[in-house]
Amino acid sequence: MATEPPLLETRDLEKDYVVGGETVRAVAGVSLTIRRGEFVAIMGASGSGKSTFMNMIGALDLPTSGQLLLDGNDLAHLSTDELAAIRNQKIGFVFQQFNLLARTSAVDNVATPLIYAGVGAAERRERAARKLAAMGLGERMDHTPAKLSGGQQQRVAIARALVTEPLMLLADEPTGALDTATSEEIMRLFEQLNDQGITVVLVTHEPDIAQYAARRILFRDGRVVEDAPVTDRRRAA
Amino acid sequence: MRIGRALAGGLVNVGIALTALRTNLMRSILTALGVMIGVLAVVLAVAVGSGAQISVENTISQLGSNMALVFPQPDTQNGGPTRDVGKLTERDARAIERSVPGVTAVAPQLRSTLQLSIPARRVSTGGIAVTEGYATVTNTEVESGRLIADTDVQSAARVIVLGQTVAGKLFGDLDPVAQDVRVNKVPFRVIGVLAAKGSSLGNDNDDLALVPLSTGRQRFATTLPGADDLNMLFVGFDPAVELGVAKQDLVRLLRARYNVGKGDVQPFTVATTEEFQAQSATVTGVFQAVLVAIASISLLVGGIGIMNIMLVSVTERTREIGLRMALGARRRDIRNQFLVEAAVLCMIGGLLGLILAMIAAHVFERVADFPAPIGLPVAVGSILFSALVGLAFGGYPAIRASRLSPIEALRSE
Repeated sequence: MATEPPLLETRDLEKDYVVGGETVRAVAGVSLTIRRGEFVAIMGASGSGKSTFMNMIGALDLPTSGQLLLDGNDLAHLSTDELAAIRNQKIGFVFQQFNLLARTSAVDNVATPLIYAGVGAAERRERAARKLAAMGLGERMDHTPAKLSGGQQQRVAIARALVTEPLMLLADEPTGALDTATSEEIMRLFEQLNDQGITVVLVTHEPDIAQYAARRILFRDGRVVEDAPVTDRRRAA
Repeated sequence: MRIGRALAGGLVNVGIALTALRTNLMRSILTALGVMIGVLAVVLAVAVGSGAQISVENTISQLGSNMALVFPQPDTQNGGPTRDVGKLTERDARAIERSVPGVTAVAPQLRSTLQLSIPARRVSTGGIAVTEGYATVTNTEVESGRLIADTDVQSAARVIVLGQTVAGKLFGDLDPVAQDVRVNKVPFRVIGVLAAKGSSLGNDNDDLALVPLSTGRQRFATTLPGADDLNMLFVGFDPAVELGVAKQDLVRLLRARYNVGKGDVQPFTVATTEEFQAQSATVTGVFQAVLVAIASISLLVGGIGIMNIMLVSVTERTREIGLRMALGARRRDIRNQFLVEAAVLCMIGGLLGLILAMIAAHVFERVADFPAPIGLPVAVGSILFSALVGLAFGGYPAIRASRLSPIEALRSE
């Protein structure tokens, strides 16, 4: 077997924003590697650069300078269409506010990424239904988000993130809108998915939540100030 | 394969569009209303325009299908002085019948307004003094009684054939045949009633009366100088005859009879039904184009409404656009989604407009007795055109949506 490139590799990654005529360096030289199968928590206060970093590794935003290799592709040199394909095929996003389409059934929400992958209607529905069932929502496929609890909505969103079989789950404060019990339930789900071999990158400012991860990366002022295995890791099972 | 995928993608977008339109149902309905009114106006304009065309064609075919009209008016088409006096006689008519090839019949005529009266009633109508040839040339038939015959002309009989309108006004439901009627105070005998020809372009084709040519010459108040001068001459031709050629033959004969030299103004004018058709087609075509152009303004307003609402929709759904981009939508996927939404909205408006136009055209035909046909091409065309309006006016909002940066769109509230 040929050596696979690391899932994610950044070298001297920088991102500047111009705000009110002033240049703000949100990410100031980050070099790190994430391998397949890792469970990483990215931490930091707001303004630390963690969100900007997450947007770049999620192919939503391009770096000002430095290298950003995702599965061997240098994202800085891809067209907007190619970036869309990377987001579609290699990354599964999970958001704090779930970001489900209102008035759209759970199964259609989950199937949405498959539309952009060019999958036919019947296969879309079948694959979406399978992912929903795996999330324990087999009975609620035709419910709209308004008829689902917060935890159920987030599980629909996770099913949507997984439906294209991506390389990496990228979760931005996935428990930020959930109560403690539901948060634990969702984190257990990430844990199980990671145990099945799925790479999970979690962005959070809550230390409790970060404890579920195996590796913690701490951002401050646009730089990585700590990158170490989680010693007090919480295991649900 | 690519087309299949594009079609499938279009269908997905129709589903997304319908969901989005349902979400803002009231707004969607009001916006579609704008397009509906525009399409209603345009379709009605097209229908009325074609109706006018049909009406004019009917009027011309009422004259007789393959025929030339000769007037005693100097033909100033090629310039020359207009004070020349016109000339056309019964002898010309006989010469034409004799020597122009393809002539089926000639209908020399005198025309005058006649006062018809019976003891209780009095009407005025357009009187035409004719020979037997008139009925042949103009496809005229009687409903009851008989037409003017050559024997009536030879004896200058005081007989009259009434059009339906005149007969109705004078005699109501009674059969006028064999009744007496005074024509300009002179007693005449009614010998027939013409079959109805209906009306075209507001002209009642049944408001007329026919008398023998010779009788007319004695009784009509004409200002014609010559003893056998005519007001008008119809020349009927065999359907196989080329009217352009026939007209040339006719003109050559008459020019010879009046010794019209090169560059002289001829004292008569010849026109054919074919020329009338061509002229009227041009006129009604322009009429229709003007109507459609005016109606299009309302469709333009509807289209601007579409653009306005689509811009609002894009702004409101910025977060959804960001999400779709995060899930892998390319710019063109977002663009197409909003284009399809605008097109669907317009097509719904277009369909409603078409249905309303069909109802309105039907009512118009009934009430105004004016044809306003909406054919299948117009129906299909109006829906396709609606979609085009959607694509045109939805284009800018859709492109704006597709150009959003995914991260900024996702962050928007």
